[in-house]
Amino acid sequence: MTDPTLLWPILLILAAASIAAVAGLPALNRRLSITQLSWILALAPLSAAVLLVLRVPQANDGTVFTWQWTWLPALNLNLGLYVDSLSLLFGLLVTIIGTLVVVYAGQYFKGDQSAWRFLTYLLLFMASMLGIVMAGDVLTLFIFWEGTSILSFLLVAYKYQYEEARNGAFRALFITGGGGIALLAGLLFVSYAAGSTEFATILSSGDVLRSHDFYLVMLGLVAFGAFTKSAQWPAHIWLPGAMSAPTPASAYLHSATMVKAGIYLMARMNPALGFTDAWFWLLTIFGGITMLAGAYLGLKQHDLKGLLAYSTISQLGVLMMLIGQDVPEAYKALVIGVIAHAFYKSALFLVAGIVDHETGTRDLRRLGGLRKVMPYTFAAGTLAALSMAGLPPMFGFLAKETLLVTVTNMPPVVAGVIRWSTVLAGSLMLAQAGLFIWETFMGQTKDPDVHGHEAPWPMWLAPMIPAGLSLVLSILPGPKEEASFLAAAAQAAYGTKVKVSTVLFHGLTVEFLLSLVAISLGFGLFVFRHRVRAWQTAVLPDMSFNKLYVWVLAAIDWASEWATRLQQGRLRPYLLIMLSATAVLVFAFSWRTFSVVSLGSWPGLNLDDELDLLRLFALLVVVGASLMSVILVRDFNAILAFGAAGLSMGLLFALEPAPDVALVQIVVDILSVVILVLALTRLPRRQRRKAQEVAVILRYSRWSILRDTAVAGAVGLLVTLITLTALTDRPRESVVTPYFAANAKTLTGATDIVGAIVVDFRALDTLLEITVFGMAGLGIYTLLRHAAQKHGDNRAVEDGEGTAVSDRQATYGISGMRTSAFVRVPAFVSLPLSLMLAATHMMYGHNQPGDGFTAGVVISLAVALWYVVFGYEETRRRLPWLRATSFVAAGVLLAVITGSVAALITGNFLGNVDFTAGWAFMPNGFHISTSFLFEVSICLAVLGGAARMLNSLGHPEGRDRD
Amino acid sequence: MELVTAVAVGFLFAIGVFQMLRRNVIRSVIGLMILANAVNLFLLSTGAYDGLAAAYTTATDMRSDALPQALILTAVVISLGGTAFVLAMLYIISSRYQTADMDEVNGLKN
Repeated sequence: MTDPTLLWPILLILAAASIAAVAGLPALNRRLSITQLSWILALAPLSAAVLLVLRVPQANDGTVFTWQWTWLPALNLNLGLYVDSLSLLFGLLVTIIGTLVVVYAGQYFKGDQSAWRFLTYLLLFMASMLGIVMAGDVLTLFIFWEGTSILSFLLVAYKYQYEEARNGAFRALFITGGGGIALLAGLLFVSYAAGSTEFATILSSGDVLRSHDFYLVMLGLVAFGAFTKSAQWPAHIWLPGAMSAPTPASAYLHSATMVKAGIYLMARMNPALGFTDAWFWLLTIFGGITMLAGAYLGLKQHDLKGLLAYSTISQLGVLMMLIGQDVPEAYKALVIGVIAHAFYKSALFLVAGIVDHETGTRDLRRLGGLRKVMPYTFAAGTLAALSMAGLPPMFGFLAKETLLVTVTNMPPVVAGVIRWSTVLAGSLMLAQAGLFIWETFMGQTKDPDVHGHEAPWPMWLAPMIPAGLSLVLSILPGPKEEASFLAAAAQAAYGTKVKVSTVLFHGLTVEFLLSLVAISLGFGLFVFRHRVRAWQTAVLPDMSFNKLYVWVLAAIDWASEWATRLQQGRLRPYLLIMLSATAVLVFAFSWRTFSVVSLGSWPGLNLDDELDLLRLFALLVVVGASLMSVILVRDFNAILAFGAAGLSMGLLFALEPAPDVALVQIVVDILSVVILVLALTRLPRRQRRKAQEVAVILRYSRWSILRDTAVAGAVGLLVTLITLTALTDRPRESVVTPYFAANAKTLTGATDIVGAIVVDFRALDTLLEITVFGMAGLGIYTLLRHAAQKHGDNRAVEDGEGTAVSDRQATYGISGMRTSAFVRVPAFVSLPLSLMLAATHMMYGHNQPGDGFTAGVVISLAVALWYVVFGYEETRRRLPWLRATSFVAAGVLLAVITGSVAALITGNFLGNVDFTAGWAFMPNGFHISTSFLFEVSICLAVLGGAARMLNSLGHPEGRDRD
Repeated sequence: MELVTAVAVGFLFAIGVFQMLRRNVIRSVIGLMILANAVNLFLLSTGAYDGLAAAYTTATDMRSDALPQALILTAVVISLGGTAFVLAMLYIISSRYQTADMDEVNGLKN
């Protein structure tokens, strides 16, 4: 059933996290102690737990709560929640233990007012964890999954001053994050195969998934994600490293919740991916090895938390193994095991935290005899340790015995191996539980410097509650609700009905006997613990599998080093590689689509057609002049050749006929040449000469020339083919142009269709364009100012080549050369002339060739001439009105204002309005309309941008009045 | 004419790319501008039909296609701005590394 209140638990916890973050503000931080804060915050997970408990009765009857938020309907992506008994089981663990841990953390960090950071991370983690177990589709699950990885990283690295913490955090993130990527791929495969990202669909399409060609790929990827998260061998190595987290985080993340995320995922996916041989073997083998490796390695630890970490690994292996079994009993054992482990292990961690907090050490070789000074902690620890040991009457006993039952339906050899490994692991666990309690609390203290005292009551109560729960839940004679809740959870994971009873004693069965064997063996190991531990250290001193991680890291380092060898950091090789790759790829994938029309059908070249002849001539000039720009040795000549090519382009445009474009092309071409020449003077000749390759083509760089020619030729051929395809396959009737042609006069009052498109139909484009142009000018200014300040000017290092000029000399024109009157007079004349020309262009642009662009560039050209003739300083002095930045601003502003006024009148931004319609005094054919004002603003912006470029490139270090 | 145009565009592209691959920074800017020319030529030739008169509403002959022309008009101006910007960056590079040789600019790494 759809239930919008399903989001409440997560939101509550997120709200608490924000409160914790706000409590970090200095003003609040001074008034509110961490302990008080933690009491307030604990209310959130507590109420979340209540909200979840309220749903239990309905969920027991098989109700599934769902909620969905449409995220990207076009891609059919939704964020959703899906809550059944399995989710509720995990959700309750997350919130109940979460409540205890928050309270505990408040005591643990007492007096440390910076711990709000810890509480924030912790609560954010809680929200993510709750999100995982309540997720309704794979995407939601994945997002929260990654959230837990990242928050785990932050919590492990909480004491980031210590290298150990940073390393542990990195390792945890590296392994779980890598698993997360695999998981994402796996989940995408699954949702692709199932046709939906929603669990509701995925869980019911198990048959489709299992028979899918990619089943093994899906299984492998999903399992990889789950195994890394749940610390399965050999990815388990991150968990001991994560113990450098503060103990509340270890208790919460690394025993009770986060490491269970993988367990939850596999249990959740079991109906969809489970019940195959691959599933069975994968989970049984990895789970089994993990169980044994964790139990074995745990016994040799001296660190309290290290011991708990390895026993957690072992238990996670057990749970993973259980999911692999296709028997209802396994799932019964799974749900019991999850609860039992979460309770006793978090309790033990919290006890370890108290011991560490009160005595200052976690080393078993120094502790001892604490039972007298810490009676309550001792009691809580003992209860939990009994449960961990699997002794009756504790909850852990139930779990272990159920585990032994599950193997009954298997081939004898497999059953034997599993059974005896379980017994062995169980006995090792028992020995560890004994070790934990005995070495900490019993006997006499081994180090006289270690003194302890009892912790405040909220602190010892926090482990007491889960430890007590693990007792109560198993002693009470099978409360109906509990059993049916567990049964419902097991059923959700298994798919069919599972009978769960929590009755402790089933009579004298094989399993019971095996339990007895495990217990006796465990006692034996415990009694001879010192000898066993010494033997372990002697036989396999370094069996931590850390080498594997180190090797993987080294391999990645090596691979990235190899890959970055290509990255030389020089531009030309990059360009070469990119261009050749583009050419090869496009050829490879689309050579079929190039239109290879037979030669006969190509519209031939008609040399009798004068227009075509002229075009041919213009094309030849364009190509020839461009070629000259390659061949000519001096940069200046090359620029001139380029200018000739540009002028010839203008000729081509004129032949189209496209007079407006031709005009702009010609003036812009001239301006480009001026700017290039200006830039040329900024680059010291010696530098350029050094870089001059063409001069020595024949001498030494023949190979590089050949290589560049080959790449350029390939790209050119490619472009030829593309152009040919585009030209022969193009539609012979334009879809849009006829509309523009038909409506230009009526809608915009312009007879020049191109002009109408630029300033009216596509006016917004043009507005953006002039903004970009202006910004380019301003950007150049900023760049060069910055460079001039930071690196000094190039000319400062120029040594006597004649281009170095001081500002005083610069008054005599460019490069300090004196200019003759024959040059100066035309310069004086050209500026007013250009202004007049520009004015007419703007006034009659919509009926004649020419427009605001031409106008702006023409004025810029005249200004450029002044720069050349009079020099920078003199020009600045004589033309005080030329304020480039203000012009850009004025241009854009005018355009926006005009557009807005037009919008008020016509309802269209920059819509056409003739402000002087019907005025008698207007010159013939001229109206002050939006088109005209827009032309003016184009002109202003272009002039401003161009002047800015001229100024900055001509005189980068110049102080400016703008 | 299509074939000739296509070959010319290809040639211009090849020349532009070749220039961009030069070590001299000024040459690579010229290459960039030649590429701009090539693209504009390409745009022009994609006009749906060949006209005999300029694109004015008053024209009586077959008008040339106005749409590519409008596109080129803006492209021409924009490419000038872009080129100037590239020039400014090259100027900074040359003053920082004291070279106009692209191969000596190696600060991209590290």
